[in-house]
Amino acid sequence: MHSLKDRTAIIGVGATPQGKLPGSTQLSLAVDAFKAALDDSGLEKDDIDGLLTFPGTTAPEGPLNYLRVGEALGIDPAFTGSMAMGGGTAGALVQMAAMAVESGHATAVACVFGDAAKTGGSRFNRASGWGDSWGIWGMMGAAANSAVAASRHMALYGTTSEQLAEVAVACRRHASMNPNAVMRDPITIADHQASRFIVEPLHLLDCCLISDGGVCIIVTSAERAKDAKQPRVLISGMGQAYTTRTLEREDWWYVPHQKEALDRAYAMAGLGPQHIDVAQLYDNFTISVLLWLEHAGFCKPGESGPFVEGGRIQLGGELPVNTAGGNLSESYMEGWLHIVEGVRQLRGQGGERQVQGAETCLVTGRGMTLNCSNAMVLTKGEA
Amino acid sequence: MSDHPKPLPEISDETRPFWDGTRNQQLVMQQCARCRHIRYPISRVCPECLEVGHEWVPLSGRGEVYSAIVFHQVYDKAFADDVPYNVSLVQLDEGPRMFSNVVGVPPSQVRVGDRVRVVFDPVTEEVTLPRFTPEDS
Repeated sequence: MHSLKDRTAIIGVGATPQGKLPGSTQLSLAVDAFKAALDDSGLEKDDIDGLLTFPGTTAPEGPLNYLRVGEALGIDPAFTGSMAMGGGTAGALVQMAAMAVESGHATAVACVFGDAAKTGGSRFNRASGWGDSWGIWGMMGAAANSAVAASRHMALYGTTSEQLAEVAVACRRHASMNPNAVMRDPITIADHQASRFIVEPLHLLDCCLISDGGVCIIVTSAERAKDAKQPRVLISGMGQAYTTRTLEREDWWYVPHQKEALDRAYAMAGLGPQHIDVAQLYDNFTISVLLWLEHAGFCKPGESGPFVEGGRIQLGGELPVNTAGGNLSESYMEGWLHIVEGVRQLRGQGGERQVQGAETCLVTGRGMTLNCSNAMVLTKGEA
Repeated sequence: MSDHPKPLPEISDETRPFWDGTRNQQLVMQQCARCRHIRYPISRVCPECLEVGHEWVPLSGRGEVYSAIVFHQVYDKAFADDVPYNVSLVQLDEGPRMFSNVVGVPPSQVRVGDRVRVVFDPVTEEVTLPRFTPEDS
């Protein structure tokens, strides 16, 4: 395979305010995020010749979202489209942008997301499964799939709810240092244990937020990013993998495709878990972070519960994870802000939550009924 | 009981044998005529070898709980009177897995590894849902 190692870079990132934003729409948030990222990048609007979008849950035009966003921004792109993979979309689009840049289909691609999920009343309550839907048995909502994974992981490996709480506590502590985070009041393991059950074994504080907001990420060639406004952040490795089968795969609950996506990203970058300074791991629910830690090789299969104890994934710990607060506490931007935070850490723009000397960041995304996953190794480009 | 209707399967020519089976107190699934793989969910072709030909074979209805969760949140108000209720991923002895409910025990007492057997719950004239209960009950 033609390697894209260090061939492309993220030159601009932008995000709107997050949380409950009455009066906002998918389109207004997408447009505002684009403007913020463009300003961050130092590029002009006419430099953007690629446009990739994620319609989120509230774009009435659905997969035609690229047309609507493009018209609003006055961009007639050489390369465009929309894709919907839930929390797997952000990474998939950024990787597609990198492929488009490398192959010469576009020179600067804006990946754009907006969603008024909070004020728009998105419930994320759909039943999974096709045809004879799982909803017949009351199996519905996003939390249920992760609860299935947590139940099995607990039974096989003795993982505890208090260990899941460690993830929630770490994300909240990090969010407390992030002025743009939605949930900033620190929580304890006891707070987590006292929060009501949503789908047992998952408590309320195991679950991500539902948020309004927009995010944009601009990808260009590593060469072009050299003399840019911002410090250069290279895409050194990328990988994707999917498990479209669910009931037919005995290990579906363990999301085995995540390991494949990570292995591809590591192989391209020529790096491994021992080289990662900071990680942004997709956290729709706390259990997801545990599974990522195992698949990414930070610990062995089944050992992520003890691994996260004692502040190991907090700032100051061995492996700071979700340094902006993640989907759990920063904002539920379906993983888009994980990429933004990875870029900010490598630029040294993390402020109070900066991981000193961070040169490598692992960013992961996962979406749908545990089906879609991707990973990127971002590195600090030399000045 | 809530008068809001619960979701029901849409019975088609492809799925009718499954629901005819449950109405007759039998759990049946498709077995591939070529590679003998027993598949679920119901589908037109075998996901292993793409063969269309298959026969509907009766299963023992026995298996074990592969994963067990308890719904406290009401996502569909039709289930408002049911929470907390169990949903389990059941590993059937013949190989396939399916989601269902383990009933006849308090929902939080269902454990991964518990042996279960199918029971049939007629929810409408046309639809009988397969659920599961502890094997020794």
